[in-house]
Amino acid sequence: MKNILTPNNRILLLVLLLFFNLSCEDYLETDQPIGETAWENVFESESLATAAVNNLYAQLRDEVLVSGNFNGMGITMGLYADELDYYSYPGNPLESFYLHNITAGNNLVRSIWNTAYSLVYMSNSIIEGLSRSQSLDPSVRDQLTGEALFVRALCHFYLVNLYGDIPYITQTDYHNNQDVFKEDKAVVYQKLTEDLVLAKSYLTDAYPGAERIRANRLSVSAFLARVYLYNEQWEEAKAQAGEVIGYQSLYTLEQDLSEEFLKNSSSAILQLKPATEGQNTLEGAIMNFSYGPPFNVSLTSGLYNSMSDADLRKEFWITPVTDGDYTWYACSKYKETGNTGATLEYSILLRLSEQYLIRAEAHAQSGNLAAAAQDVNTIRQRAGLPEIFPATTQEMMDAILNERRWELFAEQGHRWFDLKRTGKANDVLSLIKPGWRPTDLVLPIPENEIAANPNLLPQNPGY
Amino acid sequence: MKRFSLSDLIVKRRSDSFGGIGPVPGSTLLLILIALYSFAPAHYPPALSHSNTGLHTTASENRTDALRSSYGGSSYGVQASAQEDEPEETITGTVYDAAGPMMDVAVSIKGSGVVTYTDENGNYAIDASIGDVLIFTYPGYETLEITVSNQTLIDVELTQSITQLEEAVINAGYYTVKDKEKTGSISRVTADEIGNQPIHNVLDALQGRVPGLEITPTTGLAGGGYTVKIRGQNSIAAGNEPLYIIDGVPYDMSSMGFKDISGGAVLPGGVINPLNTLNPDLIESIEILKDADATAIYGSRGANGVILISTKRDSSGKISFHVKSSHGIAEVTRLPKLLNTEQYLEMREEAFINDGVTEFPETAYDVNGIWDRNRYTDWQKTFLGNPAKTNQVELTISGGSKPTHFLIGGNFGNETTVFPNDYQYKRGSLYTNLHHQSKDERLGVQFSFNYGFDKNHLPGEDLTRIARILPPNAPALFDENGDLNWAESTWENPFAKLESQYKNQSRNFIANGVFNYRLTKGLNFKTNLGFTDSKLTESKTIPHTVYDPAYGADSGWSIFQRNSTTKDSWIMEPQLDYSTEWGKGVLSITAGASFQERNFYQMVENGRGFPDNQFIENLNAAEEVTVNRELSSQYRYLAFYGRLNYNHDGKYILNLTGRRDGSSRFGPGKKFANFGAAGAAWVFSKEGFMDNQTWLKFGKLRLSYGVSGNDQIADNQYLNTFSISQTQYDNALTLYPTRLFNPDYAWEKNKKLDLALEGSFRRDILSFEINYYRNRSGNQLVGSPLPGTTGFTIIQENWNATVENSGWEINLNSTIFKREKFNWNASFNLSFPNNKLLEFEGLDKSAYANRYLIGQPVTIVKLYHITGVDPETGVYTFEDYNGDGIINSLKDREYIVDLAPEYYGGLSNTIRYDNLQLQFLFQFVKKKGFNEYYGGYSPPGTMFNQPVGVLNHWQNPGDEADNQIYTSGYNYDAYLAYTRFETSNKVISDASFIRLKSLALTYTIPVKNKGFQSCTLSAQGYNLLTFTKYKGGDPEQSVASLPPLKRFTLGIELNF
Repeated sequence: MKNILTPNNRILLLVLLLFFNLSCEDYLETDQPIGETAWENVFESESLATAAVNNLYAQLRDEVLVSGNFNGMGITMGLYADELDYYSYPGNPLESFYLHNITAGNNLVRSIWNTAYSLVYMSNSIIEGLSRSQSLDPSVRDQLTGEALFVRALCHFYLVNLYGDIPYITQTDYHNNQDVFKEDKAVVYQKLTEDLVLAKSYLTDAYPGAERIRANRLSVSAFLARVYLYNEQWEEAKAQAGEVIGYQSLYTLEQDLSEEFLKNSSSAILQLKPATEGQNTLEGAIMNFSYGPPFNVSLTSGLYNSMSDADLRKEFWITPVTDGDYTWYACSKYKETGNTGATLEYSILLRLSEQYLIRAEAHAQSGNLAAAAQDVNTIRQRAGLPEIFPATTQEMMDAILNERRWELFAEQGHRWFDLKRTGKANDVLSLIKPGWRPTDLVLPIPENEIAANPNLLPQNPGY
Repeated sequence: MKRFSLSDLIVKRRSDSFGGIGPVPGSTLLLILIALYSFAPAHYPPALSHSNTGLHTTASENRTDALRSSYGGSSYGVQASAQEDEPEETITGTVYDAAGPMMDVAVSIKGSGVVTYTDENGNYAIDASIGDVLIFTYPGYETLEITVSNQTLIDVELTQSITQLEEAVINAGYYTVKDKEKTGSISRVTADEIGNQPIHNVLDALQGRVPGLEITPTTGLAGGGYTVKIRGQNSIAAGNEPLYIIDGVPYDMSSMGFKDISGGAVLPGGVINPLNTLNPDLIESIEILKDADATAIYGSRGANGVILISTKRDSSGKISFHVKSSHGIAEVTRLPKLLNTEQYLEMREEAFINDGVTEFPETAYDVNGIWDRNRYTDWQKTFLGNPAKTNQVELTISGGSKPTHFLIGGNFGNETTVFPNDYQYKRGSLYTNLHHQSKDERLGVQFSFNYGFDKNHLPGEDLTRIARILPPNAPALFDENGDLNWAESTWENPFAKLESQYKNQSRNFIANGVFNYRLTKGLNFKTNLGFTDSKLTESKTIPHTVYDPAYGADSGWSIFQRNSTTKDSWIMEPQLDYSTEWGKGVLSITAGASFQERNFYQMVENGRGFPDNQFIENLNAAEEVTVNRELSSQYRYLAFYGRLNYNHDGKYILNLTGRRDGSSRFGPGKKFANFGAAGAAWVFSKEGFMDNQTWLKFGKLRLSYGVSGNDQIADNQYLNTFSISQTQYDNALTLYPTRLFNPDYAWEKNKKLDLALEGSFRRDILSFEINYYRNRSGNQLVGSPLPGTTGFTIIQENWNATVENSGWEINLNSTIFKREKFNWNASFNLSFPNNKLLEFEGLDKSAYANRYLIGQPVTIVKLYHITGVDPETGVYTFEDYNGDGIINSLKDREYIVDLAPEYYGGLSNTIRYDNLQLQFLFQFVKKKGFNEYYGGYSPPGTMFNQPVGVLNHWQNPGDEADNQIYTSGYNYDAYLAYTRFETSNKVISDASFIRLKSLALTYTIPVKNKGFQSCTLSAQGYNLLTFTKYKGGDPEQSVASLPPLKRFTLGIELNF
């Protein structure tokens, strides 16, 4: 037989052997995708860990619950209550909030839920990551842990007020999180209060950085004051609000109402800074209009007409727009609709006047009407309104509720949550909303969520 | 006599106007002119010289001379005159072949025009003289010539020419196989079938032609995407796309589009099919590999079948030019019928009355008199009713000599849209194929490249949805001055959306080299080298002019988004082939390895604020530029494959294939897996017991079983990482957790069984292939949906679930007529697919519980069942499946509808009479589909226009009606019922259809001109007729996307 290993063929054989000689596992090693970094690295670096926490605020600003965007409480629950009228596209899931024909399949109901729990996951992954961190400076670790705990509690606070009983998620493992059960509202309040108290212990009075755009200890106090108020723990609410109000070296009421929502407002306790320099707030871009009919939403004439003409807030924070026949009211707390050379306004998440009104209410509920009147009048006085001294708790509560309506309108759904927690929602809204049903006090648990996790049954009544 | 020459062509081309829509219509006209000028009138139709039967008996010498001169040297008359003296006799006889007497054999006398045909008993009779040469011709048989001596009875036996079907060779990827000896299920479509169609993507030409292949376009816009499935849906959640291989190079079909820019708004899902840039005319053949025997050698990538595309190469060795040009128009096939103004306003008014709203709300502009209540616009016609123009032109030069052949060509095509304004899709390509064989035939080298580009310019948003919902009395688009009419800010002028533009440009480069060396007799070394480089740039502008000017937006608001994506890959596949005689048969062995890498890079940038919209496409001019995302991924792939084939006398054939695959898409320890298959064929028509029959020419049984895999998931899913988010905070970057962590997922495996009977009857009058298959895809790789409480909506994992696809495929080919001048071929294919979820461990506890059912197809939808309309309240009533008194989505969506086709197929015909040829294909599909009510609209009574079907609705207590009470949105029960209606049996209709998919009438101008091969004129149609009961527009339309278009074109083709 002829030898097939001629010189030429030997070379070919060699080439072949080379091909087969490559190590298989090694060959399948691929480059790390750009823009991704291993989980472990994040929590060993101050700047990367801070970037993970900063993402929580960016999410709150752009997407989640307190956002000034269309899916934020300011717009959704403003339409749901008696604050806003709807002028955007017909048939939009948002329109259902206005018309009160929300169903369990409503996309917005689902996205509010999903984005909130997604933020909870992010907070939890930061908390877990920081707890395993080897080399991070302890003071940095505490600050970041406190912030993540605060955000986690904040998400659950809104979720429980929107959806009623809900799961409280404190870890990242999806095996556990995918079949969780709902927890009683009381348990949720207890857990979120614990989280906030813990967060306070991790944080310091000083803001990290020069601006008020990340939570310090007093931001958590301010929020905790609200939680206690909603949970009718009057003494605790008083204490927390008092702590913030008393911290005058940081917080004083901005006397010029036109400066209340500026980025360096002395009333601001916690602000969310726009993404890039020159950008302003989503609230400003969406709520303002100069020509009617408006594009998105307008304040209701009911709200406008309920305010005294002497109320400076009417002058400074509301802009009537007319076409001659009809008048619409733009919410102009934030004035800037687009870009400015330097950013002028930040979205305000917590501000001092709410703390006065929280303390006023807590005083009123615990019978101290004089102290309540003092706090309410602080706010009224700034708005150019005469002082009031209601004689009964009921009258005082009505006055405080009105004051909250006029002070906090179109901000993160305050009005709706006030109507709900004070039991007035049915009385007020059944008069003005043809679609109102008494079961509208809570939103439905999203249909897809129940499908994906039947442990979330039963569905809220009415849906 | 005017002769056609290349220089004429060049001169004329130069003088052609390139203005207007492009060079194409002009060039077509030009080609037609050239053709007419060149062939008429100096040419005598060759038919005349053949058919003048009296010629040889009556012509005198002089006459012959006269003829000769006027025929320009033709010598047809000469031979005839030489036979002048011989007396004629009638010759009779029978023509038969191995199978018996043959009908329709042409019997002619050489040099004369006399032709006759055999009858059904094979008999013929012809008058001839001694010395005449009788020619017996029959397509597919060797031509026989017999000189007449003094006998009058001539019986002849014809033999089949060996170049026919039996020898048809099929490309199976790593090897080739004779069609009749294949052991696997491979369908083949050739250039004859693909050509002559006014299409831009070859996938359009495959629809209805191949059993087991389902292709649905996602939009009617040229340059969009397709859904392609071979033998059904195998995977619940991983990819179901087949593997595409162009000339040996795997072609990554993942779309490079970014959904924020192209998705939803224009091209559904942002899917842009990369085959758009491949000229369909360049394709020589397409093989579709279906069963395990054919696909297991592709291992992990073969689970969903393989589509092999081979491009044309020169074979003649003679230099030749091919020029083709066509142009035509296109329009939407079908649109749903909507309410007119009167019907619409009645609906609205009734809705408010029903809801107890006594005064029309301020925002109800359509009814409250703010808008003209007498206006009517057919918005579908306005937005989708503009005829699109479509053009194609191509030029190919090929040639060479024995050792080296080449083919060089290019093409250009464009198509405008049915939308208003000048939107346009353009595509073109350049290609080359070279092959060389050394003198001793040991070394073969082949090189090919294809460089394709396409450009698509579209509105920023598909107008199909807005045309469906806009109230018919909405204001005029333009005011008296021709400016956009904003009607006092009471509407978003839809025409303003056209200010927003979507543009994309893609470049696809594929290069392939094959090096072949025969080491020794029977032993070959081969290396396949391939490289692809693709780039997509797409952008969307949202200038401030899309907004109502009252908004006060200036160009500082204008937004520009750009996605630049590149993808490159290379492959190297060294392979050894050995073949030897062994016993009574031939043993072939193939062994090889495959190394592959693919890199992906995407960058999406946003620019906002421009000093002037003129600069909107330049990020330099933007006030603010942000990087929306920048990402990269790498995929690496390694495999060893082999094949062992034993062919015993062409009678018993065994084929074993195997592959070991490694993929970087899986985590440590999960990267490798083995795949393999065995196939066997038995050609029983070669058995002794078949010797004595004559009716069955060929018969084969084949069987195969094996495993292939699926790794069609995203890269890097097993990594536990944080990613850079799009947005910043505190002037710094932000990071988010990329995904839930699960490193333990592994290959999805598909076990395929295939059984087929193939055969053909006498002389291929009818050949058939009947195929049964059963594929079971297990260890399902699932992007498992999760509840939102986990923080994510999806996790990549394997489920112990099995999906079975089984079915029958029938393919029939028939030569109905086979005469020299009249030919009729028909082929028919029919597929009955069945899909079933065999098992799914823990289904009832998973997020899929409400979506799938064991024992049912994975293509089902679970819906509410509307039982009627409550005669009292006028609201839909639903079947309460679990009888708990409430209707809820979890337990009462139990009405099951399968959306996969019940059966589908096609009937194609090619009828040729002399120079005239008619080709047509009917495609048919029996299926159910979403109808005109589906797609996230709003209840009848709200400010949305509705299909005319809603007119049959409940009005008064006691009414029996199809549709429920109108509501403007305040009737909660009716609103809730409507949201359930949207996922009920009422949004499903029969969407079966029969469609005249393609029609081509071609006329080949008879040419007798040395050097000139042919000139063909053609009229081509696509989707010309659709027969269906479907009311929702086109039965193949995706929700809220442009329906497929019908096209009609005229073309000319020259070969010289």
